[in-house]
Amino acid sequence: MTDRAKFIAGITSDLGRTEMLVPSADLATAIFEDAEVARTRATHAVSDASSRSSDLVEHMAESAITSGWKVHRVANPEDAAELIGEICRQKEAKTVLRSTHDVLSTIPLEAAITSFGATLGVTALGDDASSTDRDKARESLFGAEVGITGVDFAIAETGTVVLHPRKGLSRLLSLAPPTHVAVMRPGDVLDSLDELFAMERDDFLSGELAGSMNLISGPSKTADIEGTIVTGIHGPLEVHLVILANS
Amino acid sequence: MKPQTTHFRFKASQTLVNDQIQQSLEHVYTGFHEGRLTAAANTDNWEELRTKGKAIKDHTIAHLDHYLDLLADSVEKNGGHVFFADDAEEARQHILGLAKANDVKTVIKSKSMVSEEMALADALIDAGIEAVETDLGEYIIQLAGETPYHLIAPAVHKSRKDVAALLSDDFKDGDPVPDAVQLTRMARSKLRAVFERADMSVTGVNFAVAESGSIALVTNEGNGRMSTSVPRIHVAVMGMEKIVPSIQDLSTMLRILIRSATGQRISTYVTMVNGPRKPDEEDGPEEFHRVIMNNGRDRLRAETRMRESLNCIRCGACLNACPVYRKVGGHAYGWVYPGPIGSIVSPVLTGLKDASNLPNASSLCGACHSACPVKINIPRMLLELRWRTAEGKVDARERTSSIKERAVWKAWRFGMMGRRRFDLGARVARIMIRPLSRGGWIKKAPPPISGWTVTRDFPLISPKSLKSLLSVRTKHTKRDLD
Repeated sequence: MTDRAKFIAGITSDLGRTEMLVPSADLATAIFEDAEVARTRATHAVSDASSRSSDLVEHMAESAITSGWKVHRVANPEDAAELIGEICRQKEAKTVLRSTHDVLSTIPLEAAITSFGATLGVTALGDDASSTDRDKARESLFGAEVGITGVDFAIAETGTVVLHPRKGLSRLLSLAPPTHVAVMRPGDVLDSLDELFAMERDDFLSGELAGSMNLISGPSKTADIEGTIVTGIHGPLEVHLVILANS
Repeated sequence: MKPQTTHFRFKASQTLVNDQIQQSLEHVYTGFHEGRLTAAANTDNWEELRTKGKAIKDHTIAHLDHYLDLLADSVEKNGGHVFFADDAEEARQHILGLAKANDVKTVIKSKSMVSEEMALADALIDAGIEAVETDLGEYIIQLAGETPYHLIAPAVHKSRKDVAALLSDDFKDGDPVPDAVQLTRMARSKLRAVFERADMSVTGVNFAVAESGSIALVTNEGNGRMSTSVPRIHVAVMGMEKIVPSIQDLSTMLRILIRSATGQRISTYVTMVNGPRKPDEEDGPEEFHRVIMNNGRDRLRAETRMRESLNCIRCGACLNACPVYRKVGGHAYGWVYPGPIGSIVSPVLTGLKDASNLPNASSLCGACHSACPVKINIPRMLLELRWRTAEGKVDARERTSSIKERAVWKAWRFGMMGRRRFDLGARVARIMIRPLSRGGWIKKAPPPISGWTVTRDFPLISPKSLKSLLSVRTKHTKRDLD
């Protein structure tokens, strides 16, 4: 027997059984819900997000402040660019990096950031990037002062920004630079964690689960020294949520 | 780590007279315990969530073999590797082997109680590999050469001055003590450099999802994210009970875990990792390993009356609620898991005989039971373990009671079982101990109850029994009514 089989057989016998029993359906867990139910839940989450979008945006703006985001409401992409440029200038940024989120291509960031002498880079390696390329990319991520991303989803219940790392969206972009700016559109907001995980489960059952997912709710923080809350231990010291108005 | 559960009384008495630690332990109450109460009060369906959480865990533990099998399949399907370790030694050797085979120079560790069971950091360092704890509390503890004081606040007993001396070689007694912000910045820059050069990470697992093979990591600092972004190799270690069946179950479990741990609605980061980096991803580990450890948990599961302890999600709420933990502190418990949950887990995992003080370190007030997000009945299990050390009926080697003690209790039981015997016994006992009392209290009793008066006084038995007091009162009441 392999180690795995032996290990599991030990548990079966501890449970007082002679062979592994496949559990019968139990309402306690969602695992017995089939793909169709999961799809219905996910579809509902999306339609809910768009039909109640203005309520959800208000709720999100409020909870994001509680979570520690500095929240900015902007009327149009031009105002967004000006605001983000100003944040970068105040941080005396030399290198600003951004993801390839669609929403960012609608914002004239380049001009706003180069106007005070900083450079704006995009983190996007090819599939065939060498390890030297990757090392270089990592170095620039650790060196950048500001990282700008869109949001894949936001969660109104908890004031959370959700990101699925992928090509064009480095895991480190929202983590290594001391300032993170996330740009959100009204349709991005889900009601609660239930909707998010319903969508994740639907992705999983249809074979489209991302490699990883990050839920971000405010700046990095610790209370490990005398219980005092201090922001900015390993991740960003400051996080900004820029909420675009409906266009 | 080597259990030191026999030292309970010694460590507890040291802590009780240490004013600084007593003050830190107050933070545990005002910070975490009250935070949890507020968070629960602000959650409309809190009790419903607890019931749901308990149901998910009950179901999973009842079918643990099936879900472990499913989990291993899922991890492998995602391109990860699974290793099942019977004990801490096997797990440690496996991880050391991985580090050596890949010529690893620097390992970053994210907080994991399971890796504490393995004493993994020390083992890596002994093998010539740099191993650094990256949770700030754990980092402080590592610099101090100590073990965690609390499940989620490992360095809660350290003062700013202690931390300053640990973080900086130049800090001298009498220097102005930096504030928490300055100390945190010092640690940030030290640990940043370590993150950048790390080639392997070891993290714990808050929840492992059987159907998808995912892990969920809950952190506020971001070290969990660094660990799953920077190094080439990521090793996630977990106790075999840390499973939930479905991705969808995570919303319930995360809500109760985080609110019970710190009182936050959500932690700053929740990271889900499903396997190694996908080919077109920007960054992330190329190799993903999962170590699933037993290390004595089979004994918790095999005994029906202890099985519920495997539902534990390690939030620390029972520690914060416990009036004993808040006085004796985390090190008194002598092993990885302190507080009420430690008092039921440590004896079974490391041996009840040495840990026999732990089940007694409770007033059985039930605060841990009401605080537990998955409703584990800790007091019931403490009683179970007390019974085992008293009677030795499950395993004679666990018995810690002396023949004398058992004889006294037998006599007591006999006396208590008959009205006349009880009345007579009480009268005789009163007459016998009366000469020893001063002002109604006995400060030093003779054997066989001398042990009792070591830490407290024994009251003189009242001249009138409750029964006789009651009969007088009944007469009065009758007269009043007439």
